[in-house]
Amino acid sequence: MAVRINVNGEERSFDGDVVTPLLDVLRNSFFLTGAKDVCREGFCGACMVHVDGVPVISCLTPVGLVDAKSVLTIEGLGDESDLVPLQRALEEGDAVQCGMCFPGIVMSLTNLLAQQPLAARDEIKRGLCGNVCRCTGYERIVDAALTLARNERRANV
Amino acid sequence: MSEAETLAAVVNFARRDARDKLRGRTRYMVDQVRPGTLHGFVLRATMPSARIVNIDTSVARRMPGVRAIVTAEDAPGRFGIGIADQPLFASDVVRYHGEPIAAVAADTLWQAREAAAAIDVRLEAMPAVLTLAEALSNHAHLVHRDWKRYEVLLEAEGGRRGGNIAWEATVARGDTAAAFARSDVEIIESSFRVGRQSHMQLEPRGAIASYEDGRLHLVASTQAPWTVKNVTARALGLPPSRVRVTVPPVGGGFGVKYGCSIEPYAAALARAAGRSVALINSRQEELQTCPCRENADIHIRSAVTPAGDIVGREATVLMDCGAYGGEQIYLTTMTAHTLGSAYRLGAVKMTSRAVYTNTAPNGAFRACNGVYNVFALERHTDEICSAIGMDPLEFRHRNVLGDGDIGSTGQVFEGNVLGPMLDRMEAMSRSQPSKRAEVGERLYGKATTVGTWFVFVGPSAATVNLNPDGSATLVTAGVEIGQGTMMQSLPQIVAARLGIRPEDVVVNAADTDAAGFDVGVGGGRTTVSLGAAASVACDEVRRKLLEVGSKMLQTSPKHLVLKNGHVEIVGRAGGGISVARIAEHAQAVSGPISGSGSFTRAGVPAMMGCAAGHFLDSVDIPVFAVHECEIAIDPDTGHVEVLSYRVVQDVGRALNPSAIHGQIQGGVTQGLGYALHEEVTINPEGQIAQSGFGSYRVPLAQDVVPVEIALHEGAPSMGPFGTKGAGEVPILNVGATIACAVANATGKRVQELPLTPPRVLSLMLDRTEELDLRHAPF
Repeated sequence: MAVRINVNGEERSFDGDVVTPLLDVLRNSFFLTGAKDVCREGFCGACMVHVDGVPVISCLTPVGLVDAKSVLTIEGLGDESDLVPLQRALEEGDAVQCGMCFPGIVMSLTNLLAQQPLAARDEIKRGLCGNVCRCTGYERIVDAALTLARNERRANV
Repeated sequence: MSEAETLAAVVNFARRDARDKLRGRTRYMVDQVRPGTLHGFVLRATMPSARIVNIDTSVARRMPGVRAIVTAEDAPGRFGIGIADQPLFASDVVRYHGEPIAAVAADTLWQAREAAAAIDVRLEAMPAVLTLAEALSNHAHLVHRDWKRYEVLLEAEGGRRGGNIAWEATVARGDTAAAFARSDVEIIESSFRVGRQSHMQLEPRGAIASYEDGRLHLVASTQAPWTVKNVTARALGLPPSRVRVTVPPVGGGFGVKYGCSIEPYAAALARAAGRSVALINSRQEELQTCPCRENADIHIRSAVTPAGDIVGREATVLMDCGAYGGEQIYLTTMTAHTLGSAYRLGAVKMTSRAVYTNTAPNGAFRACNGVYNVFALERHTDEICSAIGMDPLEFRHRNVLGDGDIGSTGQVFEGNVLGPMLDRMEAMSRSQPSKRAEVGERLYGKATTVGTWFVFVGPSAATVNLNPDGSATLVTAGVEIGQGTMMQSLPQIVAARLGIRPEDVVVNAADTDAAGFDVGVGGGRTTVSLGAAASVACDEVRRKLLEVGSKMLQTSPKHLVLKNGHVEIVGRAGGGISVARIAEHAQAVSGPISGSGSFTRAGVPAMMGCAAGHFLDSVDIPVFAVHECEIAIDPDTGHVEVLSYRVVQDVGRALNPSAIHGQIQGGVTQGLGYALHEEVTINPEGQIAQSGFGSYRVPLAQDVVPVEIALHEGAPSMGPFGTKGAGEVPILNVGATIACAVANATGKRVQELPLTPPRVLSLMLDRTEELDLRHAPF
């Protein structure tokens, strides 16, 4: 029986083995290559997607478990014309280098800032413990997230 | 270059690739595997040293989905960097755990793995040498019995080889025996040992190979497309012209993709199958076959007067190259320019050996052996200071190289660079409150270190095409691995030279069919070498532009300037003719405007007879760095916390300060991993013991502090606009600085990296055994 998934707002189905990792279905069957295949052990976070709004490591998630659920990948964030504010802050902060980790980092931070819109520096850093970046040394990523949290704080005043 | 051009070149130009990378739209090599592509898998040896009795692929060839199996018979050529000692596949003997024996291409990766498992490999174990000491012991098993028969690819006068010593480079300047025999000197001897560091770049090594019209096309994730082209051709017995390499954006490299690695296997499979083959390492394969920063033993002693003059220095450095010589043969050269540099020395005698062991081959990693040589140098320097009772900063101020001082090979250094950088560090340090008050019960440590490294210049070619819309296209074999050079400094240089906007410079992705030779992205060379080649190409474009513009404006080229996308008459700003119009006119009248340029090292002289077996007797562009940190150590666990980190880096001229700051933050972070917790170890079976991010711990966001940065400008450089490479050197002093701070906090002799909690605890409890470096005599 096919697995039915809503991916980025579109109804899709997958006919293969239900234990196929969600990451492989996204990349190889739906050609959504934004989520990256880096460690397949759950440590690096480069394959992070949201399932019904919750961040999951797609390399360790059998596709059968997301049947009838909604999956949001990096490709589904924002619209064609513009970046979401987090992506804009990362771009403006000159945070990107090789870029392989960023799809996962954007998905992790999107959730973190939704849960904790006023997150402090330490909280943002803790929230990134499942995302490895080997290029940047993290600080600009944290700064970008902090800018959004600060804007949120200002808006609340 | 005019002052106006220089001003135009310096700008924090934003990366054009950031947006797609943030949206997951960038298609790296790993994202380009099309349906219908075969999947490759490499079968690897499971013993570190063995005789191959038999390899039988007949059963595997009949398995479902299998399209090709290749072994040593399909790729008989040997390759290497200094010595052609490496085959693509083991044929008669296995020299390391993980050495390729065969490769399979099948419809699915699963089928390829199944077929590989069905290849019958019979190995007969032989003695193995797994450590430097074992490899150098009397009657040691020879990793290469036939070493004498190998072709030497890079000659360096006076280099020695023999047995398990793949290459030996030596320095001799002055009489060290006399210096050490002086009655007024203190002799300080130090021993150090470091483990291997793995790059752990996020995109693994991999390639997609196709065989089209009798030529191989490799889509590779590499830093060195021309090396991939040449080595693949050599391994497969093809003329290099039959191999084309193209490179999409690369998901990190740090040196691991500086050589040719997995690409020839994909190529051999594609040729055998007549189909496209994707061969991509899993994380485990990547880590266990990664050409790491090598483990090394460093033995150093100095004769120092009570006033603090280093009148003699001797050192022996042993570098583990693993089973094949690779990069380490070349890197023996850099001992002279690290341990023998930075400080003024009297007599010098140094030996640097690349040693074969039955372990996975090592390779290049950001600042290579510089990282541990600076660790050894600076810990040794602090041991000198405590022996003669001199303040470490005072000692450094007194002894760092200044204008006209000579390095170990007799090279004359230009400019006072390290001295003013130390002043700058002290000023930066004074401007911040000490963290000592924050540590509570923990031990507080602080250290300042200096380091020298170089820009590996080497040959580059560039072409600049001026397009009729006023934009320019830069064609090189340079690669964007995340460092930003292809996105920022190179378009900035071309734009400044042509008076156009960097946004209007298109940078072509590397394609060896389109671009001339380039030695690769590494060694801090891309902005310098490709930038210089591009700048020469721009000279030709400028000349042609001004010639045509001169006719159109009826003004001598002498009175014309390129500015704001226009050719203007000097003194009449805002007028003139647009570059687009001239380019369009030229195209119709005399043909399209383009220019080509090239660059290579100038060859700064060294003193005759000082260096033997060196591939570079001198460094064309030295680079200096001063680092400082404050740490706290938990006395119960030995855990080291970094409280502050400061960098003063010599950049020549900063073309894009924001990009350089990004490189420094990232490079220091990688160095903190090396200093504190990253270590690849070899298990008793000769296999790399780590297999992924779970067993090999890289720094995470919580491990990092924001690095305080000052860029030192104005040191001489032959780079365009006086620039130096800035991406490699940020990692140089980090191991040294943390180690010196740990020694400062504990009062103990720090001799090894990384400083994991057990290692630090054992130091504090006096349970650390003295290193035995009898196999590294002076």
